[in-house]
Amino acid sequence: MLYALAVFAPLVGSLIALLFGRQIGDRAAQTVTIAGMVLASICGVSSFVDLIYSGVPAGVISLGTWVEAGSFHVEWALRYDALSAVMVAMVTCVATLIHIYSAGYMAHDNTIWKFFSYLSLFTFAMLMLVTADNLLQLFFGWEGVGLASYLLIGYYYDRPSAGAAAMKAFIVNRVGDLGFALGIALLFMVFGTISFDGIFAAVSQHQNDSYHLFGTDFRALEVIGVLLFIGAMGKSAQLGLHVWLPDAMEGPTPVSALIHAATMVTAGVFLMARMSPLMEYAPYALGFVCFMGASTALFAATIGCVQNDIKRVIAYSTCSQLGYMFIAAGVGAYQASVFHLLTHAFFKALLFLSAGSVIHAMSEEQDIRKMGGIWKKIPLTYTVMFIGSLALGGVYPFAGYYSKDAILEAAYAAHTGVGAYGFWCGLIAAGLTAFYSWRLLILTFHGAPRADQHTMDHVHESPWVMTVPLILLAVGAVLAGVMFHEQLLGEHWEHFWGESIKLNPANKVLEHMEHVPGWVRLAPSVIGLAGIALAYIIYMGMPALPARVAAAFGPLYRFLLNKWYFDELYNAIIVRPLFCLARGLWQVGDATIIDGVPNSVASLTGASSGQVVKLQTGSIANYAFAMLIGVVALVSIFLIFLR
Amino acid sequence: MNWISALPELVLACAGMAILVFGVLAPKNAFRLASMFTIAAFLITAMLVMGGTTSLGYSGLFSSDAFSQFVKLLILAAATLGVIVSLDYSEHENMQRFEFPVLILLSTVGMMLMASAANLMSLYLGVELMSLSIYVLAAFARDNLRSAEAGLKYFVLGALASGLLLYGISLVYGFSGSMNFADLSAELTSASQASTGVTIGVVFIVAGLAFKVSAVPFHMWTPDVYEGAPTPVTAFMGTAPKVAAMALLVRLLSGPFAHLLAQWQQLIVLVAIASMLLGSLAAIGQKNIKRLMAYSSIGHMGYALVGLAAGTPLGVKGVLIYLVTYVFMNVGTFACILAMRRRGRAVEGIADLAGLAKTDLGMALWLAIFMFSMAGIPPFSGFWGKLFIFQAAVTQGMWVLAVIGVLTSVIGAYYYIRIIKVMFFDDAAEAFDARPASLSFVAVAGGLFTTGFFLFAAPVEAAALAAAKVIFG
Amino acid sequence: MLPVPLGHYLTVSAILLVLGIFGIFLNRKNIIVILMSVELILLAVNLNLVAFSAALGDLAGQIMAMFVLTVAAAEASIGLAIVVVYFRNRGSIEVEDVNMMKG
Repeated sequence: MLYALAVFAPLVGSLIALLFGRQIGDRAAQTVTIAGMVLASICGVSSFVDLIYSGVPAGVISLGTWVEAGSFHVEWALRYDALSAVMVAMVTCVATLIHIYSAGYMAHDNTIWKFFSYLSLFTFAMLMLVTADNLLQLFFGWEGVGLASYLLIGYYYDRPSAGAAAMKAFIVNRVGDLGFALGIALLFMVFGTISFDGIFAAVSQHQNDSYHLFGTDFRALEVIGVLLFIGAMGKSAQLGLHVWLPDAMEGPTPVSALIHAATMVTAGVFLMARMSPLMEYAPYALGFVCFMGASTALFAATIGCVQNDIKRVIAYSTCSQLGYMFIAAGVGAYQASVFHLLTHAFFKALLFLSAGSVIHAMSEEQDIRKMGGIWKKIPLTYTVMFIGSLALGGVYPFAGYYSKDAILEAAYAAHTGVGAYGFWCGLIAAGLTAFYSWRLLILTFHGAPRADQHTMDHVHESPWVMTVPLILLAVGAVLAGVMFHEQLLGEHWEHFWGESIKLNPANKVLEHMEHVPGWVRLAPSVIGLAGIALAYIIYMGMPALPARVAAAFGPLYRFLLNKWYFDELYNAIIVRPLFCLARGLWQVGDATIIDGVPNSVASLTGASSGQVVKLQTGSIANYAFAMLIGVVALVSIFLIFLR
Repeated sequence: MNWISALPELVLACAGMAILVFGVLAPKNAFRLASMFTIAAFLITAMLVMGGTTSLGYSGLFSSDAFSQFVKLLILAAATLGVIVSLDYSEHENMQRFEFPVLILLSTVGMMLMASAANLMSLYLGVELMSLSIYVLAAFARDNLRSAEAGLKYFVLGALASGLLLYGISLVYGFSGSMNFADLSAELTSASQASTGVTIGVVFIVAGLAFKVSAVPFHMWTPDVYEGAPTPVTAFMGTAPKVAAMALLVRLLSGPFAHLLAQWQQLIVLVAIASMLLGSLAAIGQKNIKRLMAYSSIGHMGYALVGLAAGTPLGVKGVLIYLVTYVFMNVGTFACILAMRRRGRAVEGIADLAGLAKTDLGMALWLAIFMFSMAGIPPFSGFWGKLFIFQAAVTQGMWVLAVIGVLTSVIGAYYYIRIIKVMFFDDAAEAFDARPASLSFVAVAGGLFTTGFFLFAAPVEAAALAAAKVIFG
Repeated sequence: MLPVPLGHYLTVSAILLVLGIFGIFLNRKNIIVILMSVELILLAVNLNLVAFSAALGDLAGQIMAMFVLTVAAAEASIGLAIVVVYFRNRGSIEVEDVNMMKG
């Protein structure tokens, strides 16, 4: 019951704000949605505690039948197990803090009720996604978060760039969703059901089923795994489908924190963990997951080193951290990937919100080249952002240390080629992560002020509604690792996860993790500290050096600055040819052929309409006559043709 | 215990008489109170219907079963909404006489009797009780010539239709020897045995009922009466009686005459095609929105008949779901039409809706939802209704019927979407008066149902299927 | 006594029915004539019902005839009331005048 309340309280808040927002005013709409979120987070956390510590049994809360079509049966139901409960607790807590933060950040906006309604709607859809008991309901939540994300990226709809970014996010996600939808369809074809319990119970029976395509037989489970991962790639911005995430920073900063860092983008990781019983039997698909994750982690980290927009740096960092999570999922250490998801939610939300606080202080300036020298003026923001960076950089004992190390150890312990690739990519990316985090910190807060005098005079600490969530998230970023490390990944992980993550008996990654060599354990910390040191030397010690390095390695620098030219590549090979094709179809196919035929049919229809209406003379006698004709005609047909 | 099986009808009829007495004795105008009592009576009756049992009472005249329960609940919902939308209109148009809700109540009793009819005799009484009340309702605006003309036309043609119905009943009775549905079903076991008298009788009965659902060629009264009758009456007339008559047609053709399927199927197919065609074609040039709704309802009944023509439980399930979606989107649309009022005067032209999105976005949005739904555009309820109907037809191999249905819905979409175009893209006309809460309530209720139907389609579907299976035994 | 065969009754009632229907749409003069035609149709039906009832030796037809009579009375009164309302508004009960709405 509490659990259902946690899921539906945001929906109620959102609907009230959306339908009556204009009438009851911004303040009331804000209060209602925040109250809904606080209620949801209390219920979410207590149902998590009930499940893990009080021994309330896991189960499914059924809400009714949704679709009943032949053998295709779908229920509205909330799944209550460790994986879902962890996600619900995390999502509701982070979302509540971000709602509260937004009350301060969006205070000068014109349509606050709309913003809060969308934010709560997003939270509801995300909760629907993580509590889904079948793939269709998950897909419902999946599309719901996509919709909310679209609405929120394009929230400043009077900016053309925001509209374009919203469309880009929507369209790129469509590519991933196509894969996901195909995956669901194939699952239904193979298993005859899309409920999780039904699928997982039957995995072992179907593990040798094959699927015939293009003249070759593929193992059905592998194909399903890859298709589902393509869906996850779209939502979690993995290499190839990552192009929308940096642009999504056009939305308000709390949105970037909630949707494009803490929750929605991790939906892909959640999907992998949720489908773990199936993915375990698709080793090649898992290899692909690990490979893509590792590549993304490294790729995004390189770009992060040269970006100049404070939010884009963090966005690429998100991309890279999601890559880590997929490395872990790809080597079969789903626990580690969910663990990193959890810690990442706290410190990345923290980083984004502090960035928002900086932007707020700097009169909406986002370019770090125009910042600097403000750390004394906004000490609290500086402190929490420092903590967030320590957690992101994986410094002991902050949250990121535990989860990132666990992932790299798991990748090493997998003892596979692709695992080694993941390990080395992850290791290099760890160094780059530390480097760009401190580059960001130093350029933003230290050195000589580079903003104009007017802006500098206005630099001020944010109001308490913004700083309190920051402090709470900072506490999370410090403690989340220590608190959950032993439970999620320790020897008794099965006690925690219950039935929600099932491993192939052959999967011994977690045990091997205990026995990795010492240098593997030390390497991430050493490389991380080296990255931090390097950043200090370059940006604090020799502020002139970066420009010279950039000039010396001109082509490489431009390659990174332009994000490996992905946007240009897509423009050239996909967008432009499609435009040409569409233009051709429009001018020749549509305007002349397709429009021509219906236009003549339409005028014919119009003419016959005139004739039909003439029958309606208004005279009773005619009407009665028509009825008589009708009866006579029907009787005649009857007697002549049907006897 | 006969009376237990007919308890809801008895309670409702007694309540009607009590309200009548109350209205006469009340010191001042009792319209509002009488309306409230009527709504209360409907709600109580609905609860009794839900708690009802399956039984056959009054020597086989009256059957209470899952089918009748489903239909009765729908009728009661439509009637309740009908009373609610009349509240504001009656006060504006000087029609606030307490007889109005009572007449709606009595015709509802008639419809419930139709839903439960298990004998040609109870069938006839139900039909007449419903019709007589509605004749009066159509002419209820006594000082309005158009209302009087509507009442007159409906009465004359309605009387002719019940004459045909009765003649058909007498033929079926004479040539088969019984009026009881169960006996008829046992008597008429194969198409070849049925005498010419019985089959002609069936045609007459079908004609009589086709008049009530306004199927072509017995539809001629519909546009004139819809236009002339006071708008709340049109709203009521366009929903509940259609449901009752369609349910009766289903029960009759798929019950006692089920074995004559091969014979009546072709008739229903012809009538359905003609209705779909006429409904979509004639609506195109309309300027009055009530008249447009009349043609639209002719078309909708054509679609519902497609489900009946399939002659399977799946088809009947489709008909029932179609009726459910039809009632809510229709009532909602009429709530919007009733809200079209400028400086106290009701307006009915489609041109009056011009630019509504700029003056009243909420109403424009709801009306747009209803129009999309009527055009059968997913995810609105109208789409699902059509889907189930066409699915049933295709399963029976009636491809032609399904194809014509889809083509006519494309033509229909034209005039539905034209209204949306007028509301959203034309230059704004003068704003309407403020909407009364009662109309907003009905529009929102209908709109939420129409939009959210796909979320809870399964229980409705299950209930409809259970109801359909009762008919097929 | 020579019993009248069923067929004769049916023929008479069919003729009455046709007369009634034709009365509705051939009559261009007066609405009252339409009301009379409606009564004629109901008469035809009643004759049918009673004849069948006698031929079948089954009482249901006669009971039905009673019901029809009752309903016909109600119907006639409502019809007349509507005609009165119409006359007060229009000042005429010519059938041809009843065509304000069409199209």
